[in-house]
Amino acid sequence: MKRAIHQRSLLWLASLAALVGAYTVVANQVRRPDLLPTTQDIVQTFAALVVRGNAQSAGDPHHEHHQHHERSSDQVDTLVQQGVTLQDALAVSTARVLFGLAVGLPLGILVGVLLGWSRRTDDYLHPVYVLVRSVPPLALITYIMLWLGHSEAHRLIPIVYAVATTSVIPTYHAVRDVAAPYLVAARSLGARGRLLVTKVLLPAASPTVLGGLRYAVPIAWMTAVGAEMLMAENGIGNLLVGGGMWSSRMQTRSDPAVIIAGVITLAAAGWAMDAGARLLRARLTRWVR
Amino acid sequence: MVALRMRRAAVALGALVVLYGIAAELGRGRLPDRIWMGSHYVDNIQLLPTWRSLAEEGAFLLESDILASSVAVSTRRVLAGLLLGSLVGILLGLATGWAWRLEALADPWVTFFRFTPALALLPLFVTWFGYGELSKVLLIASSVAVVTLLGAHHGVRTVPRAYIDAATSLGAGRSLLFRRVVLPFALPHIFASVRVATGLAWVTIVVAELIDAKMPSLGYLLALSGAYPRVPTMLIALATVGALVLAFDLVLLLIHARSTRWMRRTA
Repeated sequence: MKRAIHQRSLLWLASLAALVGAYTVVANQVRRPDLLPTTQDIVQTFAALVVRGNAQSAGDPHHEHHQHHERSSDQVDTLVQQGVTLQDALAVSTARVLFGLAVGLPLGILVGVLLGWSRRTDDYLHPVYVLVRSVPPLALITYIMLWLGHSEAHRLIPIVYAVATTSVIPTYHAVRDVAAPYLVAARSLGARGRLLVTKVLLPAASPTVLGGLRYAVPIAWMTAVGAEMLMAENGIGNLLVGGGMWSSRMQTRSDPAVIIAGVITLAAAGWAMDAGARLLRARLTRWVR
Repeated sequence: MVALRMRRAAVALGALVVLYGIAAELGRGRLPDRIWMGSHYVDNIQLLPTWRSLAEEGAFLLESDILASSVAVSTRRVLAGLLLGSLVGILLGLATGWAWRLEALADPWVTFFRFTPALALLPLFVTWFGYGELSKVLLIASSVAVVTLLGAHHGVRTVPRAYIDAATSLGAGRSLLFRRVVLPFALPHIFASVRVATGLAWVTIVVAELIDAKMPSLGYLLALSGAYPRVPTMLIALATVGALVLAFDLVLLLIHARSTRWMRRTA
């Protein structure tokens, strides 16, 4: 058993090293930094986006610009000039995702409990929910903008909407299917009201509901990045497209090194949040086996 | 029982239609019709178009063939991406679920792509494959592939040990075991993941079509109606996307129900 685990992690590392190595060789052979930046380029872009931005915000931007750096591209230059750093962009996007989760989850859980609790409510409201769920949140972004104007709200609402609609179904099943037998048993023993909710429904449903959190996190990231690509002045999505894909600035070719650096950052952030969600679930539902 | 549920659904949806109509009529002339677009004002905006103006706009979009051709183009892209992505994803998922060495090899990359929002890859795909059809289809395919890979993998992994032991003790070889025990068991999981992936594919295409938007496509229709802005067109495009997502989901559910008729299902 121990040997198997050992062999697994060895294979895991070998796979990672092999692909990175293969990529490095290919990128060095191809010599097309506009298509396949070398591994070194990507590392340098990372450094430029993290470090140079910091130095620049303190000093004079034009002076800073002339510092010699081996790695430089239009997109990196523009970003540095605007004082955009990877960590700031990540912080903004993370804040948006967390806001979406903080508002969307309670909303979705509320609707899920309502639908799962009463057959009658489910009959009436489920078709409406299916209609609402079917509209992709990012498609709504312009319509929301017309109502609320250019503000933070129209970037946040699609994230809230996406999180809420995805967390309805796990909650619904948790209440209707998982908790139902316990509810019936508790009711027949005379439990009702608060007791029924806090001692029976909550413990029975929460593992499934918190499992749904793991679906909601990637959806929230996807929506946040999409919203930032379409219309935002900051955040990782904006960093990726170098400012406003919506406008005609797509003419400036994007630098793949910046995109790869951004994508790696996003994957790391998503992974970290998923690990957090798993930890939260394990801690909050310790009574489950 | 079913009749009661249908009646209640009809009542709820009918109420929605009537309520929207009332809201739109009340809002007519009262909601602001002059909107600041960030750099200039736009006049004559109906934030809540009445059913009447929605019907007129809908008739125009249908008559001019804009809607039908947009639907055809976007649906074709989603279908191509969905087929390509789920084919690759399901095969890989079955393979990684079945062979643990392969799983260890694939794991770092699956983990990486699993947490990468597919839309973030869009600028990269545009640089590599250009603005055309290829980058859109491949973007959808990659987001679909990750989800279906995880579904197929999970399906293979959750086959109860007892089934495998029973089949093996009856003399089933690995290939028979895979075809007659593992695959049928994994099927519902695969279908569930394809349903999730379909929703994701539609989200992806709407945004992908906003980039270098060309007529005809639903994303372009949305972008265009947002740029002018023309709310009735926008709402009709939104409703069309929603209807297509719903239709795809229903078709998948139907296929699922037919292909798993032999097993007991709860929902």
